[in-house]
Amino acid sequence: MPESKGRPGSAGQRPTGGDKAVATQKKQYFRRKKVCRFCVERIDDINYKDVKMLHAFVAERGKIVPRRISGVCAPHQRRLTDAIKKARNIALLPFAAQF
Amino acid sequence: MRIYEELFIVKPDAPDEEVDQFVEQLRTQLTSAGATVDKVEKWGKRRLAYRVDKYREGAYVLFQFTSEPDGVKELERRLRVSDIVLKFITVRIDQTLKRLDKRKKERDKRAAKRAASAPAAPAPAQPSLAQQMTEPPATMPGVPKEA
Repeated sequence: MPESKGRPGSAGQRPTGGDKAVATQKKQYFRRKKVCRFCVERIDDINYKDVKMLHAFVAERGKIVPRRISGVCAPHQRRLTDAIKKARNIALLPFAAQF
Repeated sequence: MRIYEELFIVKPDAPDEEVDQFVEQLRTQLTSAGATVDKVEKWGKRRLAYRVDKYREGAYVLFQFTSEPDGVKELERRLRVSDIVLKFITVRIDQTLKRLDKRKKERDKRAAKRAASAPAAPAPAQPSLAQQMTEPPATMPGVPKEA
């Protein structure tokens, strides 16, 4: 999880769905705002050959992590799923973990 | 002409000479078809994420070339026919490269703009900072207790 916030007004401040304020409920608790790693680190190229990077967005069973969990923004999630699916095709990533 | 990337997996038990020969063959085939091979990369043996034809590992080879769409057809046919190739994937990357180039240019432009405007901003700020630095010693002796 990236801890640093993006610069003000950038994508880092955009709501990603996972940061809904829960102040209206009786029990108040703080939820850290999630930020898109690709926006914050300015990664333009989401390449299917970069297995190390893609591994961070694949769950234990080999499933793609939903962006409500990972906090990735929609445009980047689209490219990410594309890359992961390509990587699966060429056996760089598993379709499903074997048990 | 389009830029393509071809990544394919060679059987791990294929002898090196045979792989080299095969790669060379593909290269000559591509160049004779009017394509230019920009890059050939061998990643070496890697563990596969899943079993392919009973193999658990394979040697990856990456081609990058510029060609007409027909050239790709022939290359794919050869890969499919070859006995030592387990799997292959062809990706067209010229559009992606273009997009990345554009993004990078935008980034650089913005960075240049910021660099151009940055010296202007600290310039007036610095004298005031220097003033503050020099001011306390001037007033301090007179009024020691001001915090």
